[in-house]
Amino acid sequence: MKRTTILVLAAAAAAFGLALAVSLLVTRSDTAPPLADAARTVLPGLSAATGEPVLPALATLRPAAGSVVQAPGPFDGRFVLDNLTFDGRRVAATVRITSDVSGLLELEALAGFYDAKGTLLGTGRYVRPDPARQGHAEPTAPAPGGAGAGEAHRVTIDVPAALRGRAVSAAIGVPVLVNE
Amino acid sequence: MRASTRSIAIATIVVAALGGTATASATNQGDRDDRDSGRAKNVIYLLGDGMGRTHVTAARERFYGPAGKLVMERMPVVGQVSTYAVQPRSGQPGTPDFAPNFVTDSASAATAWASGVKTYNAALGVDAKGKVVPTVMELAKRAGYRTGNVSTAEITDATPAGQMSHALARGCQGPSYSASSCQDTEVTGTELPTTDIRVTPIADQIARNGTADVIFGGGLSRFDAADEKALRNQGYQVLGSPATQTVATRRDLNSAYGPKVFGLFNQGNLTVEKFKIANPSAPQAKEPTLSEMTRKAIGLLDGGKAGRSDGKGFYLQIEGALIDKRSHANDAAQTLQEMKAFDEAVRVAMDFAKRDGNTLVIVTADHECAGFNIIEKGTFTNAEAATPPGNVDSGNTANNSTPSRPGRNQLDPTRSTGIINGAGAGDPRNFGPATFRTPRDPASVKDGSPEASLWLSYLSGNHTGADVPLFAYGPSSERLARSLDNTDLFDVVGQALRVTR
Repeated sequence: MKRTTILVLAAAAAAFGLALAVSLLVTRSDTAPPLADAARTVLPGLSAATGEPVLPALATLRPAAGSVVQAPGPFDGRFVLDNLTFDGRRVAATVRITSDVSGLLELEALAGFYDAKGTLLGTGRYVRPDPARQGHAEPTAPAPGGAGAGEAHRVTIDVPAALRGRAVSAAIGVPVLVNE
Repeated sequence: MRASTRSIAIATIVVAALGGTATASATNQGDRDDRDSGRAKNVIYLLGDGMGRTHVTAARERFYGPAGKLVMERMPVVGQVSTYAVQPRSGQPGTPDFAPNFVTDSASAATAWASGVKTYNAALGVDAKGKVVPTVMELAKRAGYRTGNVSTAEITDATPAGQMSHALARGCQGPSYSASSCQDTEVTGTELPTTDIRVTPIADQIARNGTADVIFGGGLSRFDAADEKALRNQGYQVLGSPATQTVATRRDLNSAYGPKVFGLFNQGNLTVEKFKIANPSAPQAKEPTLSEMTRKAIGLLDGGKAGRSDGKGFYLQIEGALIDKRSHANDAAQTLQEMKAFDEAVRVAMDFAKRDGNTLVIVTADHECAGFNIIEKGTFTNAEAATPPGNVDSGNTANNSTPSRPGRNQLDPTRSTGIINGAGAGDPRNFGPATFRTPRDPASVKDGSPEASLWLSYLSGNHTGADVPLFAYGPSSERLARSLDNTDLFDVVGQALRVTR
């Protein structure tokens, strides 16, 4: 075989291979971007949380001295707040859940404490220990100190030490509730 | 090289290059042909939350009699699905650090079929080590499909959230972040910054990630004014108003149009069908049924008169959530009615699929709930028994293994004070069964009476580890006619839509 013929055939084979590789590569890259890239992990315009949840109504309430009132929150249609008490040292209430009581996943209560003029002095928070999260299972056990899970839960929030003696009234509400 | 030789050489190279391209093209065409056999234009995935095999049987007998069939039971392909979860930080099956948990919750199960990985109970869109994994709805959206997510639960609840969020903890639903409900340091070691998607409230994610074009369900109180603004900025038609906490109604649903629609019809979960049927003038009766939401979602996603399909197809998930929630409560009457409502949604999906001719319909469950079972009329369960069945004849090798219990299988009148939806309804400690009339019972027979032919009982108030049924129709459905794991559903759907490798 002549040298030129060999060169031509070699070039032809190279061109064939190159065309094949490029074509396959282009096709593959067009149809198969990494799966992980599809996950939506960036949310344009969303400001990240800077703290624990609040109840804006606490700043506008003016409970009378010696009283405790309910602060409105996003889930007020799902529970009734019973047996509200305030003795100057702590506020307490029973959260009786009235909707979808088969399971209680999350419950947080927030209390505001006020001086004699009705000025908000500060807040205290209650976070229900979640046996389900601790065990990573659906709720199974009765709620501590009360009826079955999701039915009623006694909440107690102490007046912060710095406010003791100054807080003469309180308000309490529920900013976090996940029940099913 | 002479001119003629040069010409031949150039021609040879050009022909070779063209041949290479043609060969590659043919190869790719062959791949496409192989891949396109069984490709579905649309996938409708219907999920009966907590729906075990007995839920299906009991609903059939209640509404159609023993010789009848639910719509889902008329589908040609039948399979069964294992549902187990894993422990936090577990590896995947087959790895040395694999640590199973035999009973799943709805979050782990949703992640299994949505993302194809086993994860721990409470996790959504992350594996058991906390790594974000894409969902089939996200993959479908990226590939150009239209997408929809419909539920009778809060739309931030585990099943719908499993397709359109990534969260360490299912309780991180919103409207606000809290460390207690959103962080899980057992998985991550230390708390994540609040900029991390995995601790971002699910409502914030749904309102901003655009994963689903059509969103119908409950849970309005998880969303706020900022969420409504974010939705509108993406082009969603928002039914009702998160900003004013005005729930959407059936009328709003019927008049909805456009490519992206967001409608939540209750501040919490939607109302059970049994209540709406009994109280047709109540405000809750203005909520649409699951089948009405399904019909509208299909219409919007398929194009039709209102939507604007580009012809690519759609992926739609439909959840009958209250089957599970009412099974947790051991409320058989509401459970059965929710089964019927779910089956009517299946009917809507099947009617569309038969007309369309290129739609894969899958009906299955995430787990069984409460050990629902059918006992023979006039009999009782172990929970009602003074002494469970005995097994004490040591002289008989057939019945002398552990447990060995003296006595006989007898009803305990203190544990069973009558039919729970009848004479025994006032006893909070009663383990009696619930009874229901069926179509073959005489008209005089009432629910809750001993004469009713369908006797139902629950084992517990929680999930069980039983496999769940699966029914399917359409392209690729033959791949589901077997025993599957719930992670296999990700592969089947992903490959039917050609969005996974």
